[in-house]
Amino acid sequence: MTDSVSAQPDDSALVRVRGLTTVLNGKVIFDAMDLDIPRGKITAIMGPSGTGKTTLLKHITGQMRGDAGEVWVDGKNVQALSREKLFELREQIGYLFQNSALLTDFDVFENVAFPLRQHTELPEVLIRNLVLTKLQAVGLRGAAKLMPTELSGGMARRVALARAIVFDPMLILYDEPFVGLDPVALNQVLKLIRTLNQTLGITSVLVAHELEAIKQVADHIYLIANGKVVAQGDPKTIAEDGSPWTRQFFGGEADGPVPFQYPAGDYATSLGFPGGGA
Amino acid sequence: MSQRPSYAVGTGLFIVLGFAALAYLATQTTSVANIHQGSSYTVDAHFANIGQLKERAPVKIAGVRVGQVQSIVLDPASEVADVKLSIDQRYSKIPEDSVATIFTSGLLGDQYIGIQYGSSKNVVAAGGTLALTKPAQQLEEMLGKFFGAGGSADNLGGSYTVKARFTNVGALSAGAPVKMAGVAIGSVQSVKADPVKLDAYVVLAIDKKFSQIPDDSAAAVFTSGLIGTQYVAIQPGGSPEPLKNGDELVLTQSALQLEDLIGKFLVSGSPGDKKAAADDTKPAGKH
Amino acid sequence: MSAQPAQENVVTRSLTQIGACGLFLLTILAAVPRSFRHGRETVRQLWFVGAMSLTIIMVCGLFVGMVLGLQLYYVLSIFGGTAASGTVVAIAIYRELGPVVTALLFAGRAGTSITAEIGLMRATDQIAAMEMMAVDPIAYVVAPRFLAGVIAMPLLCCVFCALGIFGGHLVGVNWLGIDNGTFWSNMTATVDVWKDVVNGVLYKSLAFGAVVSLIAVFQGYTTAPTSEGVAYATTRTVVASSIAILAIDFVLTAFLM
Repeated sequence: MTDSVSAQPDDSALVRVRGLTTVLNGKVIFDAMDLDIPRGKITAIMGPSGTGKTTLLKHITGQMRGDAGEVWVDGKNVQALSREKLFELREQIGYLFQNSALLTDFDVFENVAFPLRQHTELPEVLIRNLVLTKLQAVGLRGAAKLMPTELSGGMARRVALARAIVFDPMLILYDEPFVGLDPVALNQVLKLIRTLNQTLGITSVLVAHELEAIKQVADHIYLIANGKVVAQGDPKTIAEDGSPWTRQFFGGEADGPVPFQYPAGDYATSLGFPGGGA
Repeated sequence: MSQRPSYAVGTGLFIVLGFAALAYLATQTTSVANIHQGSSYTVDAHFANIGQLKERAPVKIAGVRVGQVQSIVLDPASEVADVKLSIDQRYSKIPEDSVATIFTSGLLGDQYIGIQYGSSKNVVAAGGTLALTKPAQQLEEMLGKFFGAGGSADNLGGSYTVKARFTNVGALSAGAPVKMAGVAIGSVQSVKADPVKLDAYVVLAIDKKFSQIPDDSAAAVFTSGLIGTQYVAIQPGGSPEPLKNGDELVLTQSALQLEDLIGKFLVSGSPGDKKAAADDTKPAGKH
Repeated sequence: MSAQPAQENVVTRSLTQIGACGLFLLTILAAVPRSFRHGRETVRQLWFVGAMSLTIIMVCGLFVGMVLGLQLYYVLSIFGGTAASGTVVAIAIYRELGPVVTALLFAGRAGTSITAEIGLMRATDQIAAMEMMAVDPIAYVVAPRFLAGVIAMPLLCCVFCALGIFGGHLVGVNWLGIDNGTFWSNMTATVDVWKDVVNGVLYKSLAFGAVVSLIAVFQGYTTAPTSEGVAYATTRTVVASSIAILAIDFVLTAFLM
């Protein structure tokens, strides 16, 4: 919790982002950003909506390539990997989509078994045992025969989590795992994230807005805004950081470095009042 | 996967059904013989006129398909069509004096080559020539002989009228031509049903030029061509007295239904049988 | 690929779409060998696009054949040629109606469902999830559907033709009283296996199957990942498929006949 407070490159970092620059539709998403995600820890990435938190996850998995800079995952530069190498790397990364992204054609069991069936020739008995183990871990062994449409949002997310960990990945990326969950489901997912990290030692990256939830699990927090890391540290440190960004973000103030108003022309001029521009 | 058997079985059924349908289409609705291209040999035949004969047209013996026309080229030297027949090897015992004739299957059907066996002991060899051939009979010629030439009625100057009664006029209508020996000599003025005698009462307007038509001539309702309109044909009799204005033609023959005609005609289709069909159309002298 | 700048005109946009579609075909063909690993998925898709379309194909085939039999009877009876109705029914169905109507029905029944399915998979991140699970969505999702469409179309067309001829027979022989023997013998005498059945049913429907499936998977795969994007893509599938079917039909007819 204390070893990665500095922004210096760290040997224990699983993911290293160096000078990442991304421009999407003329808008600068990342501006020479540096970021490290330590091994075996839970790292939370926070920031105002539209700052490219999900885009960052896509960079880490190689779904998107930046315009400049490097993204190193486990010693491999994702930006430069061929599709085959990228696929090899992705087998070691679990990704939890915001809307779970379960395959609607298959039931819960087959959804969790899907990566195994695609990448291995394991005997059916072994697949069954592996899948049921993972479903047991997320508490949904009894729901194995349900179809994705029959699941609640929280259940679907737990199934997706079971699918993400079926290969025992080294890294799991959670894209907004708490959105739309009731408090009970939220706590279940929270508990799962912590358990997976502690028991299997899986490095976890969380993208989320729920400050209270993140305070409970995260070892390290990055606050991103305007394409840069504006604040970082363990939850306690960052909460006490006096920067305007942290004040606004963690204090929940409507106006601050993140403007309440979307950039617009002069208000009075828009309304047609003469001399408004003065 | 638990769903697998049902998909696999259903999909399998679907594929089998599709191929069964294909097999059905290919074998039950087409001439499968067209696919059969076993070993065959080629024979030449020269025709003065091949009519509408086309490549791949069937070659038949006794009505049974034994091969097909391989190529048709015009021999520039002798101005005859050189037709190469590809005949199945199984029918290799065709006498060399056999006659190759171009026939038409049915009235409107395609043409084919029929081979009528000769009596020679020598068989025609591969690459040999069938010397005896009969060219295609043009359907038009046949029909022309059969029905008399068509042609519309002239715009008539003066005319006189004669009456005729038919038990059935078919589709005859006013304005239809009146012909003698195939040439228009007048037109039908009116067609009415007689409420008393219960037959058709037809008034014919005949050009004054033809004033010497014997009064025992017969009138018949004929059809021009196969699908043409109907007309009245006058068949001259032997009486010395000519027809006069207002006379009635006593000998009439009603319209033959085209169906009957085609029926009889279709049975044979060979030109020799044409006379038999023609006999049926002679005036029967009905009132 | 999905969002076109507004200033492009219809021609440029259509050309862009056609070009992108062609490139997509190459991508699919490159992925076909890899998709053989997912043979089970292809079988499953064959079930969905092929077997599930059977009902509509059979019913429509029957009615097309029946109406053809009826219309031809009235026209041919003018010329006393009702005996030829078997021939004309068969040739009309083999050469044009079978492949074209099957393809249009296929575009409406299976093409739209392929587009909507892939579009929804895109909209609900299932495509991205496959990417993340190191499964190539082209090989797993697109290629099996494309192959299934190419395989299913000729089979469906054969079923359509068989039912169509049965329908023509039903009306012509059983209802209007054309002689059964005449009906069949005229048909078998005239219809040619290569010229009519193979050229019409097989070649045309193979081409239509490839084109309709390609358009369906392309529209689904490149759809904007929103609900209106999927709806729009589904409509485009039907419109583009119908135009492509009729245009290609003309070209093929000109070349094959």
